[in-house]
Amino acid sequence: VSSHEPRGDGGEPSGYGEDTDARDRAEISRLADEVLPALAARLGASGLGELEVRGAGWRVRLRRQPSPAEGSTGTTPARAASHPPGASRHGGEHAHEDEGLAHSPAVGYFGPRADLAVGLPVRAGDGLGHVEVLGLRQEVLARVDGIVGHVFVEPGQAVEYGQELIRVDSLGRHDASGSDEDGSAGGDGR
Amino acid sequence: MFSRVLIANRGEIAVRVVRACRQLGISPVVAHSEVDRGTRAVALADEAVCIGPAEARRSYLSAASIISAALVSGCDAIHPGYGFLSEDDTFADLTRAHGLTFIGPPPEVLERFASKAGTRELLARHGLPTIAGSHGMLRDDEHALSEAERIGYPVLIKPSAGGGGKGMRLVRTPRELQQALTVCRSEARAAFGDDSLYLERWLEDNRHVEVQVVVDRYGNGVHVGERDCSVQRRHQKLVEEAPSPAIDDDTRAALAEAAVRAVAAAGYENLGTLEFLVDREGRAFFIELNARIQVEHPVTEMLSGIDLVAEQIRIAAGEPLGYTQADVRLRGHAIEFRINAEDVAHDFRPQAGPVEVFLPPGGPGVRMDTHLFSGYEVPPYYDSLLGKVIVWGPDRQSAIARARGALGELVVEGLTTNLPFHRALLSDPTFLEGAFTTGLLDRRGAAAFLAAAAEA
Repeated sequence: VSSHEPRGDGGEPSGYGEDTDARDRAEISRLADEVLPALAARLGASGLGELEVRGAGWRVRLRRQPSPAEGSTGTTPARAASHPPGASRHGGEHAHEDEGLAHSPAVGYFGPRADLAVGLPVRAGDGLGHVEVLGLRQEVLARVDGIVGHVFVEPGQAVEYGQELIRVDSLGRHDASGSDEDGSAGGDGR
Repeated sequence: MFSRVLIANRGEIAVRVVRACRQLGISPVVAHSEVDRGTRAVALADEAVCIGPAEARRSYLSAASIISAALVSGCDAIHPGYGFLSEDDTFADLTRAHGLTFIGPPPEVLERFASKAGTRELLARHGLPTIAGSHGMLRDDEHALSEAERIGYPVLIKPSAGGGGKGMRLVRTPRELQQALTVCRSEARAAFGDDSLYLERWLEDNRHVEVQVVVDRYGNGVHVGERDCSVQRRHQKLVEEAPSPAIDDDTRAALAEAAVRAVAAAGYENLGTLEFLVDREGRAFFIELNARIQVEHPVTEMLSGIDLVAEQIRIAAGEPLGYTQADVRLRGHAIEFRINAEDVAHDFRPQAGPVEVFLPPGGPGVRMDTHLFSGYEVPPYYDSLLGKVIVWGPDRQSAIARARGALGELVVEGLTTNLPFHRALLSDPTFLEGAFTTGLLDRRGAAAFLAAAAEA
């Protein structure tokens, strides 16, 4: 069984005119209903880490396992393909959540990076800390550029899978490198 | 005794284990996947820990996540339920390495009984009549053909791992065998991650009869009678009952006594089920041992009054059995009906979605083990078992009468279930006679079976 992110790297509509909107939506829903389950099954069987398919005006990329910090953004197992419509919506609950939230990738003990503090500027993909699972560390990554707005857990605290650990407030523009002055504005970056 | 137990399973069995913990004064903690947050077991537990996403490989099958969950929640033991990691000796070993107790046989016992072919040979040495089968796993097609020739057709191809009918095929000729091997291997690999297969002699018109045993760490063992699980569809059990209508009292007693004697002598420990095939003449042949609590355990509980899950926990904690065979009294007749989210009219296709209304049956001699409630949404990720209706009566006829009442009362709206099948079964002459065999339903075809019942 493979997992993929239902909304990540999804359809990329060819045109943006108003009259193409409905057509795009139909195409996206066709991709979601037909192409994605087939690809997920293929990915599961292949043992590959990532699979990308392009068609006229669209591109779909599937990754086997979401990066740790994205662990709870929803999974759609291949099995869902064999079930009636309506049943395949599970697991997508977090899809509309605040993108800046870093969730726990596993059940274990949380350890922040040494300099983690509210106001710390970070880039998407930066390590924010880790969750220790039976002695092995699983990284917690920032998902957006921004500044650390809130840390919900204490160092050494037991956390469960999917638990909200840290909120990174996006700077609006993807330009965190300019904010060298320690961003004391806290969570007001947006 | 344990003070806190992590339940690493879901659905009705997680609820069942919560109840056993309460009975023993143990605090239950439920490990659940992300989609199972709103389940009944989570609501009933003292604490719940999310261990991973819906995908079982990363939650209910993730040994590291489960053990980590037990450690962070302060548990001293893990109950694996059935399926998932319940018979995984590596998981049991890892559990112990982290200072926790696996509720089931100890890892070295699980390992000794891990191979089905090896278990057959071991228990044959301890006096059990066993079914003829291949020596060890099939190396290749050629080996399979020569072993089948030696055993004699028809033969059943079976995967070494797992159950539930996946990777299993009945073949009657060398040609059929060759064709089926590839399919079985790929089915077994997909379902269990292990494609090793073995062969077993197939008995025509066989009955499936299994003996429940309980053995403590000190070698004290009792049997708690047998169960008949002959109502099957594609090797999946649908209805189980006890006592078995297939065997007489003398055969029953001899079989159960031989079973418990053999496993105790072979060093087995904790709860176990020995499965037998019974041929037309009433002769029983051992096929395999299940080293876990089974779906159909309530049938035995109804007859004996013994809480088998509590026994399993007690024995894992090192307590002695505390009673003898003479103390085990089996009364009356019990039948269990597995209520599955399956569309009988469309080849038993699995269903998922919201349960709008759920009303369980009740009354004397009626029990329902389930995790359902009105408003619960059945996720598409796991097996289709919604619960079990178990009825008891002083004899088979009164149990069947109670079953008619109970299945008539049960309401599950919003989701298609296999209730029509069970209602049809209760008017089927072969079932009413107690003469169902394991291949009967597949031979007749489910559609023809339902149509015949509708006319009756």
